[in-house]
Amino acid sequence: MTGAQPRPRWLFLVSPRWLAWHAFAVAAAWGMLWLGDWQFHRALAGNSLSWAYTFEWPLFAGFAVVFWAKTIRDEFRIRRGEMPDPRAAATEDLPAGVASAVQAAGSVQAADGADEDPELSAYNAYLARLNAEVKNHGRWHGLR
Amino acid sequence: MEAAVLRYRVMAYVTGVVLVILCFVGIPLQVAGYPTVANDVGVVHGILYIIYLVFAWMLSRRLRLATKPTVIMLLAGTIPIMTFIVERWVTRRFINPALTGQAQPTAPVGR
Repeated sequence: MTGAQPRPRWLFLVSPRWLAWHAFAVAAAWGMLWLGDWQFHRALAGNSLSWAYTFEWPLFAGFAVVFWAKTIRDEFRIRRGEMPDPRAAATEDLPAGVASAVQAAGSVQAADGADEDPELSAYNAYLARLNAEVKNHGRWHGLR
Repeated sequence: MEAAVLRYRVMAYVTGVVLVILCFVGIPLQVAGYPTVANDVGVVHGILYIIYLVFAWMLSRRLRLATKPTVIMLLAGTIPIMTFIVERWVTRRFINPALTGQAQPTAPVGR
């Protein structure tokens, strides 16, 4: 292995944690489709109530797939620094001014939905990086 | 943001109330031999839950929630009483901080 080569970004997808998540997503979607199929056969057998569930379960299955896809997309964005990591909850550890700035940056971006504006997302990425960098500085520099 | 919160709240309460009716009125009646209420309310809850899923998910995207709180929020619509508890938890833990954060005049980027 040549040390200069960076690890591909998608490698996190095959970590045990993410593999478990993929397995869960497949099982959940498959289970919901199976339930839909079951309701379909019940409906054919004369249970008219089952018609509603025949269409509902595939809908839920589709929702689960979209949800799973979004978690992956978000993780790529977090890793590219385009989006603050929601699990970090870093704002609680920050001095009041910085916390509100970071939070406001996050909510402005959130209010716009997709990151259409490259300048804005670049700035938010910069804020997120700053936030990560200065996260523990206050303690050492006696700011708080 | 406020609109997304309101949509989520309305659906949380409506879905929650219908689910409570289904579980604590419909199911006992079904057991007693009158399945009509459970059948009809069951279908209504199914439809409401789909709307709840959509609104809860839209709000969770707005709040940029991690996967775990999002899943808790979405599944709350299938467990009786749970929507009320989760709605209060989400409000205290995520909605209120986001709203007060947004109201800060120090926002670096405004459009």
